Amino acid sequence: MKWEVHEGEHGVVTLVLSLKMQVSISDEPETLYKRLSLLVKGHDKAVLDSYEYFAVLAAKELGISVEKVHKPPKKIERLTLLKSVHIYKKHRVQYEMRTHYMCLELKYLTSSTAAVYLEYVQRNLPEGVAMEVKKTKIEKIPEHIQEPVWDTLPQVEETEVKS
Amino acid sequence: NFRHAPPRTEKMAVDQDWSSVYPTAAAFKPASVPLPIRMGYPVKRGVPPPKEGNLELIKIPNFLHLTPPAIKKHCAALKDFCTEWPSALDSDEKCEQHFPIEIETVDYVSAGTSIRNPKARVVTLRVKLSNLNLDDHAKKKLIKLVGDRYCKDTDMLTITTDRCPLRRQNYDYSIHLLTVLYHESWKTEMWESEKTEEDMEEYIWENSCSQKNALDTLLRIKASENVSNVTEEELLASEVVKNYRNSVIALKNEGETENNVSQYKESVKKLLNIQALP
Repeated sequence: MKWEVHEGEHGVVTLVLSLKMQVSISDEPETLYKRLSLLVKGHDKAVLDSYEYFAVLAAKELGISVEKVHKPPKKIERLTLLKSVHIYKKHRVQYEMRTHYMCLELKYLTSSTAAVYLEYVQRNLPEGVAMEVKKTKIEKIPEHIQEPVWDTLPQVEETEVKS
Repeated sequence: NFRHAPPRTEKMAVDQDWSSVYPTAAAFKPASVPLPIRMGYPVKRGVPPPKEGNLELIKIPNFLHLTPPAIKKHCAALKDFCTEWPSALDSDEKCEQHFPIEIETVDYVSAGTSIRNPKARVVTLRVKLSNLNLDDHAKKKLIKLVGDRYCKDTDMLTITTDRCPLRRQNYDYSIHLLTVLYHESWKTEMWESEKTEEDMEEYIWENSCSQKNALDTLLRIKASENVSNVTEEELLASEVVKNYRNSVIALKNEGETENNVSQYKESVKKLLNIQALP
């Protein structure tokens, strides 16, 4: 963080505190994500369409391969309630809640790239929109499953089984 | 005081830097957006209302802070923190070969009274049994132990854990389950020798009724023709009996297809020497 001189419009010169973020590199091996599936849910289709454009462009700029973008069909939840506070059973009022979905599938991300992309995309989630992120991590077989352990154990005398 | 200053839009240049007008998410300010937008239900025989004092435009979330040049600027600054995917793993099969275990976790983001979601602690572990070091007996025992969690078509074992309150605990538990299953399936218990024919997963011809019947029939045929006593091993090694064995195994294991049934017919004809029938 340091003070920098910034030339604005109409010859206005200001002092700006610049927050250049520092890149730190750690030695631990990265976890690999084979697939990252983002499911975005909202009440307004137009908002989801704009968000899709933003998420796809952000992925392309950061060099993440987009497998596919598809829109599952919307779900409508309907309620029928009584219109009046007391009696009048024949007069009802109906409400509905529409949930639109948009699914974005990304392939082959490392943990740092996934963290960066998810934080960027989640900080810019519009109001009233929810997201579910499904991560598929790939790993090697752990050491204790490589060989059956019975071959390496020393010969132990069989203890009596308690009945 | 009714003499207001003219809106900022009149002083804006066409090629200005828009990301400095809307650097972050902000409400729609009609005096700062130089676009002639109209939104809302149109007045009778008229047009939708203009942007000044328009509540509909303020209510809807706007993406004015995320124009394509702004997104490109953000991504250029964030690119330093991203790492490259290893180029050697460019296809699913190579990932499968080097990293056979797949762990699936779900994160939930939503606005509400609480940011926690109880569904977030579920962990699903998937592994193909062909990648584990199992011999024939161990594989069959593992499939019996695991039951429904194994899919024969894709050879995939799926373990879903959610009994612990934290995701890391569920992940450790699923790895523990995999370890226990693996080691238990290599053990051979004393009572496993009592495995009967109903417990077998696939049909084995040796020591079955089909073999006894076939050998019986052939021996009787030879005896009635008064040929010198042929031993059972010779009969077993002969071509016709081998053909019959293969066709019976195919019928029992793979089910009845046209191919299998016609093969069985041919082998029976050769076995009993009845070529004359169609």
